[in-house]
This record gives sequence, C-alpha cells and structure tokens, in this order.
Amino acid sequence: MASKSTSPSAALLNDSIKSLVSKHLPDDYKRVTDDDLYRHSSQYRHWSYTVGHLREKRIETNLKAVKLIQAKLQKFIDEQGDNISQSELQTLKSKAVPLTMEEELKLVNFYTKKVQVIGKHLNLPTEVIATSITFFRRFYLEESVMKYDPKELVHTTIFLACKAENYFIGVDSFAKKAKSTKDEILKYEFKLLESLKFTLLNHHPYKPLHGFFLDIQQMLYGKVDLKYMGKMYDKCRRKITEALLTDAVYHFTPPQITLAVLIDEDELLVTRYLQMKFGKPEETVEETGTEIVTPAKENAQKEKQEVKQEVKQEVKQEGEKSEQNGKPEDHPNTEKEEEGAETKQEEEEEEAEVPDGKDENTIELDKLMEQIMACKEMIASMSVVSTQDAKLIYAKNYYCQYPDIVIQKLKRKQEQEQEQVGSESKETTEEVSPMKKQKTDV
Amino acid sequence: MRESYSKENKVGEGTYAVVYLGTRQSDSKKIAIKEIKTSEFKDGLDMSAIREVKYLQELEHPNVIRLMDIFMAYNNLNLVLEFLPSDLEVVIKDKSVLFTQADIKSWLLMTLRGVHHCHRNFVLHRDLKPNNLLISPEGIIKVADFGLARAVPNPREILTSNVVTRWYRAPELLFGAKHYTYAVDVWSVGVIFAEMLLRVPYLPGKDDVDQMEVTFRALGTPTEKDWPSVSMFPSYNKLQIYPPPSRDELRNRFIAVSSSALNLMCGMLEMNPGNRWSTVQCLESAYFKELPSPSNPADINISSS
Repeated sequence: MASKSTSPSAALLNDSIKSLVSKHLPDDYKRVTDDDLYRHSSQYRHWSYTVGHLREKRIETNLKAVKLIQAKLQKFIDEQGDNISQSELQTLKSKAVPLTMEEELKLVNFYTKKVQVIGKHLNLPTEVIATSITFFRRFYLEESVMKYDPKELVHTTIFLACKAENYFIGVDSFAKKAKSTKDEILKYEFKLLESLKFTLLNHHPYKPLHGFFLDIQQMLYGKVDLKYMGKMYDKCRRKITEALLTDAVYHFTPPQITLAVLIDEDELLVTRYLQMKFGKPEETVEETGTEIVTPAKENAQKEKQEVKQEVKQEVKQEGEKSEQNGKPEDHPNTEKEEEGAETKQEEEEEEAEVPDGKDENTIELDKLMEQIMACKEMIASMSVVSTQDAKLIYAKNYYCQYPDIVIQKLKRKQEQEQEQVGSESKETTEEVSPMKKQKTDV
Repeated sequence: MRESYSKENKVGEGTYAVVYLGTRQSDSKKIAIKEIKTSEFKDGLDMSAIREVKYLQELEHPNVIRLMDIFMAYNNLNLVLEFLPSDLEVVIKDKSVLFTQADIKSWLLMTLRGVHHCHRNFVLHRDLKPNNLLISPEGIIKVADFGLARAVPNPREILTSNVVTRWYRAPELLFGAKHYTYAVDVWSVGVIFAEMLLRVPYLPGKDDVDQMEVTFRALGTPTEKDWPSVSMFPSYNKLQIYPPPSRDELRNRFIAVSSSALNLMCGMLEMNPGNRWSTVQCLESAYFKELPSPSNPADINISSS
C-alpha cells in the first residue's frame, strides 16, 4: 500500500523492511495508549454516559417499574371486586402512587449513604467501601427500588464488593458482623451480579490521587510543606468517597474527578501545578512567577502532545481526556523500589508512544480547567436526602407493594374514628411506620 | 435477547467449575462453557469465579482467552468462552509432534503479548503454566484461567505467596515474599520457555522444599550481591549455596539455542525480581528480531502425526 508514487527501489526497500519487522510492526501498527486501555475498561464501556443518556436510562428504569406497579395495583383492585369501597379505592389511589424517577433517585442516594456508613462500621478498606457504593448505584441504574427494596440489597452489595476487591470475609462472619443473615445476604447476589452486567472491576480515583500527589510534590519540590500535603491527601481521599456518591462518576474519568477534588481542596496550589504541567510557557510566567517556570517546560511539552486529540464536546467523551491528566499515576516516580523495573519500562514505553512533532496534540489548559470545574460543580451539587424525605418515599413505595395494608389501615382507622374523633397527626405517624419497622435491621 | 447455547460433552472439571464443549445456536460456532458449580458455594459466588469474570471482562486481546458471554441457568453461572481445543502442555508432552525453533519463538511471542496485555492493565495472572496457555484452531496461544489473578498491589499491601503452580513459581514466592509484582509472571514464562526448548519440565520440584533445591541447583542460589537482603528471608539460611551456571553450562543444557535466546531466558529467570526483565524488555529482545522469524501460528502443526 506504501508506494504508488515512490520509485521502485524505494518501494522494494520499504517492503523488505516491512517483511523484516512485520511480525512486530504490522501495517496498521499503532501504539496502545492509556486512553485506549481505559476505553476498553468496562467502566467506560458500560458505565459512562452523557448527562442526557443517564437521564433517559433512569426514566426508562422508572417507567418499566411504574407499569409493573400499576398493573399490580389494578390486579389487586380487580381482585377485591365489590369488597372495596369507593373511599377505600380513593385512599389507595392517593397513597399507593408509584415513585417518580426523582423519588427513586433520592431513595437510592439515601441508601447509598447507608452503604457507606455500614461499610465504615464494618471497618472495611476505603476501596471496598468505594466499590460497594459504586455497585449499589449501578444496580439501581438497571433496576428500580420499586422492584428491589434497597434495604435488601445493602448487605448483598457490600458482601459482593468485598469479594470483588479481594477482601474476602466468610458469609457467616459477615452476617454476624452486619447483624444480617446468610440467606438475606446471598438472596440477590446473582441478581446483583447480573445487573452489574458481570463487570466487577472499578477504577476509583484513589490511585490517580496518589499519583498526582507524588507528581505535585516532585514538581513543586521545596515549595510545598510535606506535612500540609499529607493532611491534604487524607482530606482528598475522603472527598473522593463523597464524590462517588454523585453522578460525576458517570460523566468524568477518575483522574478528572481527582483533579476536581484537588482543586476544591486547594485551588491555588493545584492551579499552579496544572499551569506548570499543561500551561503555555507565557501563561506560566505571567501567573506563577519566574522561579518555577523552567522545570515545567519540558514536562508540559511532553504531556501536551499526548492529550489533545480527545478534546470533544460531548461530556462522556470529554471524560476520556483526563486519562492523560491522570498520567502521573502511571509514573510513580518515588515508588521505584516497590514496583521495580516494570514500572520504569511501562514508562519508557509510554514515552516512546509520543510521536515527534505532532504539535496539534497539545492539551489546552483552558479546556482542562473547564472540565475540572464542571466536574467540581457536579460533585458540589449533590444534595443530602433527609431521613424524613426518604421515609415518605419509602412509605409510598411500601404501599405500592402492599396495597392490602393500605386498606387494612384504613379500615382500622375508620373503626377508631367511630370510637373517638381521630386526629390528623395520627395519619402522618402511621404513614412513616413501615419504614421504621423495616429500618431497625438496616 | 440472550443467545442460546447447547452444552455437549464435558471436557474438564476443576475445583470450582465444569467445562463443556458447546455450540452457539445462532451461527453453529463452537464454544466452551465453563459452568461454575453453585452447590459447592458456602459463601455465595466463589472467589475464583469472581476473579475470572472480573479480569476477563477487562482484558480483550488476541492472546487472552475471550469471554464471549455470561449467563445464568438453573442458578448456575455459565461463562461462554471461545473454543480452544488444545494447550501447550499437551503439545509439549506429545512426543510425536515435532516443532521447530521458529514455532517455539512464535508461541513465546504470543504468550508474552498476552501476559504483557495483562500487565499493562495492572493485572497479575499468578498461575502461568503450559496447561493454562490454550491454543486456538488457528494456532493462536491464549492466556487462560484467571482464577488466581489479582490487581497489581498498592505499595505495602500484603499478598499471599501461595500462588502459581509449583514448578513455575518464582524464587521470591518460594521464599514466601509478601510483596511481589509482575516479575512473578515473567519467571513463569521463562520456565515455560525452557520447557518448550527441553520438552520436559525444567524445574520439577517434588514439593515446596525440593522446588527451592531444584531451582537453585539449576540457576544458582541468589546471594546478597545480586539480590540485596535476600538473606533476610527466613528460609534462606537453610539453603545450599550453588554457584550460578556458567554460560557454557547453559549452552550445554539448551543445545542449538541462539545466544539472544539464552539472554532472554536468563533475563526472565533472573533471581532478583527487581532485575528480572519486564514483558516489554522481553518483547523487545533481540531474539524476536533475529532469524528464524516466528512461525505463522496457522502453519504450526500440533496434531500428532
């Protein structure tokens, strides 16, 4: 394919070289980048969405469940036939209302928080808790809380996450610690695995965080207080866990989330670092002063070349970009004694990937900052679901599941009303009760 | 939506799974179904099954076994894998099969590519052996069985050294190291390379103690000089100190092997895991650039004549 225009001898030469090296360098030879690898990950293939797509997905999951619930309620009403009075029907229709997508989301968020709290209570490593959170939220992208009671999935999720993260706890001792039972824990394990599309490997932002910290310390060596950095590191790890409770995980890559968390923690330091790393030399001079310009240039140049091509408008795709921003993670400069020669080799290989002089391959600091800020905003916009809200939603769902209970309650209430004039407050307390009853074992 | 598969004859049974040959109904393509035994589970899904699913979902590569589908049937987990009729162990053992230096080079190259793909995805295989290097009908080597795989550990994370089938176990594992990395897999590939050349297992220890004896007798006992603080391992003191083999000794053992082939093998069988070659170093070795060039996998005849 090489040489219609070149001279025969050149073509010959070309071919002979090709045949010599062909086993190593096929015609379509292209070095595999970190981005390529991330794009092959199940996290990217199955669990990254645009904002619109994510919304559609939730609406779809909700709609399917609503239809089911409605059919179930109708069936119940039909079965009751003449046994159900008009007022009972009215009450039923007002109480057993299928949840909206937003309500589902709130309930999921509420229980995700529970997953986190229980994980901490069980003294699980951060990564295991992170995976539990991730699994739980993914499960409820695929399934509705109206079909699977979140309360019943909490322990199952944590138990599977332990195994997926190679942190095995026997089911009996897990049940004991979590005050649950073996059957409860294992009941939905297959279902969970299936809804997770059998994908169990998560890329959490903790590793990029570690990498960025090493890189920041190296690049700003002597200019940052190591004690301060240590504290900042711990804070950032906690913030990352919080970020995993937000939709940022579906729209941004782990290194982007890491940078958002970092910049939220110390905007000045991190901006300075990013400017050194990715800024144009002039910008660096202007904004950060002369003393730290020189070491940055070379590095920035190198990094720049690796990044540019991915810059696209769509959020999901923009997400890919920071893979390279996460590069330091693959260059654990101070970890050589642990990782040995292999890491170094990887590093050399990666460096070899950068084709010379492809100038359009520069990372745009502005674009990067835009992404990080958007990510940061999304993390910050996460609102806490109050227990009261969650209880109300839970009750609604409960009535959808058990319409007979609504009728029974109504009957009981009417009987009571005949004896004494009922107060309205009673109704609200009763409304909350199913959740309370169930909650004790959570 | 689920495609349907037919299960035909049972071809193997492991501790946690039964393997069947089968056919994909849609296109009559041959497949293998690994049915994970449920009844055995005390703790829900088995860890090996979880590891296998976890890593195979991420590792798509011509030299890694392809996980085509997963489905549940009768509360069993079924992994649908590509059909791979042979493996390197069978081929090495079958003395009626003749293979050339170029064939060995081709197999080693494919193996290293598969292992490299694991490593660049931060996955350690931890059970490389000829039996786990399957061969496709087209002669392609595929790394299989990820039941012992794990992610590359964080620094200071403590690992179990009770991994890898004995004969392919790296010295740091023999010493009971709690920290190790990619180098354990490279060692295994080195031993497999030697086995392909010799056509008998290279370091066949009878038990764990004997494995050290066999390994160090063949390759020399590591010393502080080439592996600083190796003597800190508790079992080190009991060791017989053997000198490393001379180049001539190696050449006598591996006759008709080029010097770059020996270099590569020694790089993979370097005692000190820190000095052991990485998969990248191996893949870039002169061995793969010199003649004979690796055989075209499809041209290698592995069926006994």
